[in-house]
Amino acid sequence: MLNNFGAIGILLIFAIALPVILVTVPKLLAPRKYSKEKGTVYECGMETRGETWVQFKTNYFLYALVFVAFDVETVFLYPWAVQFRKLGTFAFIEMFIFIAILLVGFWYAWKEGALEWK
Amino acid sequence: MNAQYALLAPEITLAVVGLVIFSVGLLIPKGSRQGMVPLTVLGILVTMAVAGAQFFSNVNGSFLDGMYLADNYASFFKLLFLAAALLVVLSSTEYVQKLPAHRGEFYGLILFAALGMMVMAGSGDLITLYVGLELMTISFYVLVAYLSEDGKSGEAGLKYLILGAVSSAVLLYGVSFLYGLTGSTVITEIAAKLGSGMSPATILALLLVLAGFSFKISLIPFHMWAPDIYEGAPVPITAYLAVASKAAGFAALVRVMLVGLKAQALDGNVAVALAVLIGLTMIAGNLMAIPQKNFKRMMAYSSISQAGYIAVGLLAGTPDGVKGVLFYSMIYVFANMGAFTVATVVSTAQGSDEIKDFAGLARRSPLAAVVMTVSLLSMAGIPPLAGFVGKFYLFKALLDQGWVPLVFIAFVMSMVSVYYYLLVTRTMYMEEGADLPKIGVSGATKFTLLVTMLVTLFLGIYPSPLAKMATIAAASLFR
Repeated sequence: MLNNFGAIGILLIFAIALPVILVTVPKLLAPRKYSKEKGTVYECGMETRGETWVQFKTNYFLYALVFVAFDVETVFLYPWAVQFRKLGTFAFIEMFIFIAILLVGFWYAWKEGALEWK
Repeated sequence: MNAQYALLAPEITLAVVGLVIFSVGLLIPKGSRQGMVPLTVLGILVTMAVAGAQFFSNVNGSFLDGMYLADNYASFFKLLFLAAALLVVLSSTEYVQKLPAHRGEFYGLILFAALGMMVMAGSGDLITLYVGLELMTISFYVLVAYLSEDGKSGEAGLKYLILGAVSSAVLLYGVSFLYGLTGSTVITEIAAKLGSGMSPATILALLLVLAGFSFKISLIPFHMWAPDIYEGAPVPITAYLAVASKAAGFAALVRVMLVGLKAQALDGNVAVALAVLIGLTMIAGNLMAIPQKNFKRMMAYSSISQAGYIAVGLLAGTPDGVKGVLFYSMIYVFANMGAFTVATVVSTAQGSDEIKDFAGLARRSPLAAVVMTVSLLSMAGIPPLAGFVGKFYLFKALLDQGWVPLVFIAFVMSMVSVYYYLLVTRTMYMEEGADLPKIGVSGATKFTLLVTMLVTLFLGIYPSPLAKMATIAAASLFR
């Protein structure tokens, strides 16, 4: 009983110690040479101009959500398509119900203007 | 194969109704969405009939190798969720007219939340349970943040989202331990594999699962989200959150604890830990409710303490205890919905829900004042109202298991709760409220008020029909 707790305790100690070690070791060992280049937000690419806190349009997220819905749909559709002959009519109807439910969601997103770039 | 699908009839019906309501909301042009309420009410009534038919014809079956169960226990909770959804829809007809936008989706989301709860109550598998839980909570995230122009509502929505995600993560962590220990997520198989063994990892899993669910049912010390979110959410949604989502949490928690972890959940130290949590919940919930000025905040603390009372039945762990949980959850629906319907009426008329806004309500709207008084006294457990019978069942089940000190705390704290419930009554009856408007209740709201009051009175005087149903449902859990 106690041995088992000991195993959990060791795991716990390691889990806490690891990030601490990972942060402190470079601080102690790594050479520190600061330069202007290193201080910039991006070390490569174009130099930033103006405010770095750029506001994204929330439309991106709506697009992403609709995309995820269809992504998941394909995940289910592929195995179904591969096994289509074995599964028979019942699975055929089931898949149509599934697609219909997704389409209602898509219809909603469309109707509410999630796909319009305003 | 087809015979099995009949077991899912209530869920399938509600899913279809929800999708239809959503589609109707899209087809009707914005601004003229009037026909939604009758349609929603009809849909809920049909689903209730299907679930009721399953309950009264004693349908007890399992689906997909025990991953989904349709037993009397689940059917009882399904009826409870649908009753709560019905009362929320009926009580919010006038409130919805004042919503700034997206009135069409309001009812659809309420239905999908109820669907998630039904899946939670029926799931015999931890993954299915989680899917139901997420369907419920994601619907609630949207509903809580519905008042898009009110900063408080948005804040409540965000807080609920973050804390809900954290609690889900804790729950899933516990579930992953259970899966690691037993190689199964099916609740009955977990029980078979675990046997009566009690390893440290089992305790860890047990406590993580308990903590995850404690967030949902707002057991102290996992309660801190409740007051802010209850205050910020639209009033009908607060009621729905307090009643139905809490009952759904209990439905799943009781099944996981008393079926899946039956040998471990109430064993020695774990039971003591649970008892300490429950005691703390009852004491702190009731004491923190006393100084509240906002009605919804007060009800939030009150609902925390009510969660403590209901969890007493879980701690008892016997069929009698589960019967108490079922009975009390059901009457809590009616008592709480009565109080919140009055709050909805006041909030619609006056645009605010401080306790002082209820001043002179006895003169301005006698019916609302009476319903509020009956509901609050029922929650305090004053005979001859239903709350008294419910608490009697719960505390007696616990007393039979020998937890005398905890029962004592529960009794004392019930008495304390009378004080802050009566503060509201005093405001309604003794204070003038001269410059506040007269409030008329009509139509669906009046119906809701009358129904909640009559059910609370009826079950207080003649509890045996519901008690019998609860006994049957509790027995099906322990088969």
